[in-house]
Amino acid sequence: MGIEEMKKVAEILLQYVPATLKLFGATLLFSIPLGMVVALLRKCKIKPIEWLISFYILVMRGTPLMLQVIAIYYAFPFLQKSETVAAMPGFVRAIVNLADIRDPNYMFRAVCLAFTLNYAAYFAEIFRGGIEAIPKGQYEAAECLGFTKIQTFFRIILPQVIKRIVPASSNEVITLIKDTSLANIIAYEEVILKAKQQMQLYSSLTPLFIAGVFYLISTIILTALFSFIEKKLDYYK
Amino acid sequence: MEEMLQVRNLSKSYGSLKVLKDISFDVKKGEVVAIIGPSGSGKSTLLRCINQLERADGGEVTVCGMPMFKSDSAGKAVYSSAKVLREIRLKIGLVFQNFNLFPHMSVLRNVTEAPIQVLKHPKAEAVKTAEILLKKMGLLEKKNSYPCELSGGQQQRVSIARALALQPEVLFFDEPTSALDPELTGEILKVIKELAKDKMTMVIVTHEMAFARDVANHVIFMDGGVIVESGTPEEVFGNSKSERTKQFLERYHNG
Amino acid sequence: MRKNLWKTVAAMMAASAVLLTACGSTDTADTVSSDKEKTTTESTTELTKQDEEEREDLSLQKVKDAGELILGLDATFKPMGYTDENNEIVGFDIDLAEAVCEKLGVKLVKEPINWETKEQDLSVGKIDCIWNGLSVSPSRAETFNLSDPYMENKMVFVVAEDSEIKSTKDLEGKKIAVQNGSTAQEILEKSEFAKSCSMTSVATNIEALQQMDINLVDAVFMDDVVAQYEIKSSEKAYRVLEEGLAEEEYAIAFRKEDQALRDEVQKILSELKKDGTVEEIATKWFGSDITTIK
Repeated sequence: MGIEEMKKVAEILLQYVPATLKLFGATLLFSIPLGMVVALLRKCKIKPIEWLISFYILVMRGTPLMLQVIAIYYAFPFLQKSETVAAMPGFVRAIVNLADIRDPNYMFRAVCLAFTLNYAAYFAEIFRGGIEAIPKGQYEAAECLGFTKIQTFFRIILPQVIKRIVPASSNEVITLIKDTSLANIIAYEEVILKAKQQMQLYSSLTPLFIAGVFYLISTIILTALFSFIEKKLDYYK
Repeated sequence: MEEMLQVRNLSKSYGSLKVLKDISFDVKKGEVVAIIGPSGSGKSTLLRCINQLERADGGEVTVCGMPMFKSDSAGKAVYSSAKVLREIRLKIGLVFQNFNLFPHMSVLRNVTEAPIQVLKHPKAEAVKTAEILLKKMGLLEKKNSYPCELSGGQQQRVSIARALALQPEVLFFDEPTSALDPELTGEILKVIKELAKDKMTMVIVTHEMAFARDVANHVIFMDGGVIVESGTPEEVFGNSKSERTKQFLERYHNG
Repeated sequence: MRKNLWKTVAAMMAASAVLLTACGSTDTADTVSSDKEKTTTESTTELTKQDEEEREDLSLQKVKDAGELILGLDATFKPMGYTDENNEIVGFDIDLAEAVCEKLGVKLVKEPINWETKEQDLSVGKIDCIWNGLSVSPSRAETFNLSDPYMENKMVFVVAEDSEIKSTKDLEGKKIAVQNGSTAQEILEKSEFAKSCSMTSVATNIEALQQMDINLVDAVFMDDVVAQYEIKSSEKAYRVLEEGLAEEEYAIAFRKEDQALRDEVQKILSELKKDGTVEEIATKWFGSDITTIK
């Protein structure tokens, strides 16, 4: 490929960077709080809830994300056609019928849901590890000083958990930016999908390498950001 | 003298293991009580029961006239309402063996956090009180440091200031010097002595016999989950009635 | 591969159906029906056959009402349907579909899909048809409602115009290039030529042709449709040997139950053939009308 052609490919790929970043941002936005809730629910003393959460984490971590994207994307349309759902109470049908596969936003929502559920499971495990690493003495000190459970969590435990989970989370976040390309399994139009199309057009691998540069730059930015955060949190041990 | 703490027939087991059997004692206002005894004698568990970190099985504990729990007819401890328990909680402070300072907060915030968040004191007032307490502990110049930057003795003094900031009626110490280098125990002893001078009511679980002898008005010797002997330091140390106390003290002096 | 995918999707859905029923009611009959759910998803085709008899076919009306025909394609099949250097989806299939839609009075929507999940996309109604150089096969004829084949494709040998190779018989002992990982490679390896000729694999068809230009190889084995297109677009002197291997046909796939839509598109294609539109489009892409529309 010539320089001019490469420029043209780069321009096209750049148009799809927002789509990739949109999925990346939305997944982080939803999966981190959800992961926190899941981590806390997993410590729940009500057995069925604990089992359900463990099962959820097992499935999310135990099956490929690609499969989860496909399953969620096609689940709603198939359920809409299924007779079982048709025979169910109205609110179930209403939920299932909310999804319209021809709605231009449906694909993004489905992909985002799959990514969020998957990443929340991973974040939940990181958070759980972080929470469990906090010494019991911190809870006892807080209890003796009269803090409520909520105050204890948000003022004493959570800030310490955050410091502990930053290194592991940064790994997840960097993996996520690259995982966004898995969304092209249902033809979500992002950088890699476009690179593949251009690859066929020019019969050359170069477009894929150009896409690789984008991921590399993203990773460099994220790495710098996380080392900045780690430094910021380094004021105590 | 006013009774600050009344403990009657307190019992506690872990499974089939009885760690506390029929413990009864009183602490009067301004009194300093030292609880001594070998490891595993149940003295820390006793402290944790009184501080609501463990649930007692039976007996009766009253703090400043408020009942914490009372045995029912079957001998099982029935705790008071959450509201009363919370009030009791704020009447007593606890200083831990491992300090348990909040590592992500500065020294000053460690001391002011509870008054501001729990007692809803205005920030300026909480800071003023904290500064007075830190000055008393000789740590005012360290107020903006973080716990990790302090020595063990300094950390323990911060944790004493933190407990005092809630203005408790009784202050409990759970082996306050066990985690410290021997040369640092002196500074903690000095602080406790000063608090005793201010008529602070204190209950100290300790291995340091010097603590018990120098500061306490009353010494309780525990072994095997029971109070073996109790009395003034002179009575317990100088003239122990029990053979077990004598043995313990001898071993202590030799070791 | 596809079967496995199906099974997993069905299993996942069955699981979610169980969850849903668990929320909805505690009636045991529901648990039984969730088992049924699994079987229904696995035999969608059977079900739709029944539906077809019971329901009126509104497929054509639906497309007209929506004012658009959604064409699913994987957008990497040059020259049938692919993404060009300006990120536009173009190709022979696209031009033909545009012409059909104009007659139909609807807008053509080009929806990129993943080729591996095309069956699901069609089945759930994300798209109205798959129109992207889809080869006819018995299993596809079973799954889809296929149009009449509109083009023949075979694997052919491309040689230089002035080459001494006139027929496949002359190929003995010659060097043949194929694209690595292509269907052409598979077919050639299994054929009798594999014994008598030496085979080299290169990354792309274009490279293969370039190798022939500098006499590194004597012939290139590739898709006829692609060959016709490359010959036309490169404007070089190539020749395609008459005799090829493994003939296949391209058709348009519709949902089983969408008979009315399929028939209408078929009818329009015949009309376009008659009025010369097909020839015009085919000439643009292949240099001549190589379609088989009647």
